[in-house]
Amino acid sequence: MATDLITSFVLVMRNFIFLIISPYKTMRKISLEKDYYQPVFIIGIIFVYFKFIYYLRDKVYPATLIYFLFVFNFLLTASFFYLLSKLFSQNKKEVIFSRFIITFSYSLFPTIIWFLSTSILFIFLPPPRTFSILGKGFSIFFVAYSLSLLIWKLILGYLAIRFSSKQNFFNILTMIIYYLIWFIPYSVFLYQLKLFRVPFI
Amino acid sequence: MKNINFRMKQKMNEVFSIEPNDLGVNILTNYFRKITSYLKTAPFIFAIPLAILVSLFLYIIFGRLLVRLVTILQYGY
Repeated sequence: MATDLITSFVLVMRNFIFLIISPYKTMRKISLEKDYYQPVFIIGIIFVYFKFIYYLRDKVYPATLIYFLFVFNFLLTASFFYLLSKLFSQNKKEVIFSRFIITFSYSLFPTIIWFLSTSILFIFLPPPRTFSILGKGFSIFFVAYSLSLLIWKLILGYLAIRFSSKQNFFNILTMIIYYLIWFIPYSVFLYQLKLFRVPFI
Repeated sequence: MKNINFRMKQKMNEVFSIEPNDLGVNILTNYFRKITSYLKTAPFIFAIPLAILVSLFLYIIFGRLLVRLVTILQYGY
């Protein structure tokens, strides 16, 4: 048990580095993975993050509640793409739910990095940003940093759907459009309830 | 030898686990493959300069609005 956990932890770290260097090959390998400790580790890291930011936020809701809502959103997203893939797929047996969980959990890495770095920056460089040269310079840097992580997130998200659903580009694009149709209003609803400002997905 | 064959077979199964993308039109498929080949390995080589250019462009277009956007984003964690 302990050896399995350590192995999974090492594999998570290894895959994390390789997702930066070679996302395509790494996500392809991850999609064939059968070690379920790995997504548990990643989801566990997110629990630590939510506990950490609880002390920075307005404390409207307990961290555990926000965390369980995140897990619900995560499962909802994975299930949505799984069901759509079943609909689109001709060979329904090759669409496996656990593949969606593993690949989608790895696609959370850019999200974790962005949220963690933003919360740390909040401590050291609290907003609001000023219109001075330094303020403008930091703003350009922050947008560039966020955009590059967003590009990485989009690549990993696309690859996660591609290797789990085994669908072609147009089918994946259709699935993403269907997803955004309900997910954007849902995110606005969560924002209004002050549960999430930027959706953690 | 058996081990090498097994590994080879495993690698082949991994590589051919999905069909290659075909967009229907040859020119489109070729362009798609060319663009995605840059994103398959070390995407940050292209992502970082592209993100810097886009953010500079956004600053030139929107000016102070970008600074306000960053203030909102900083509360977004």
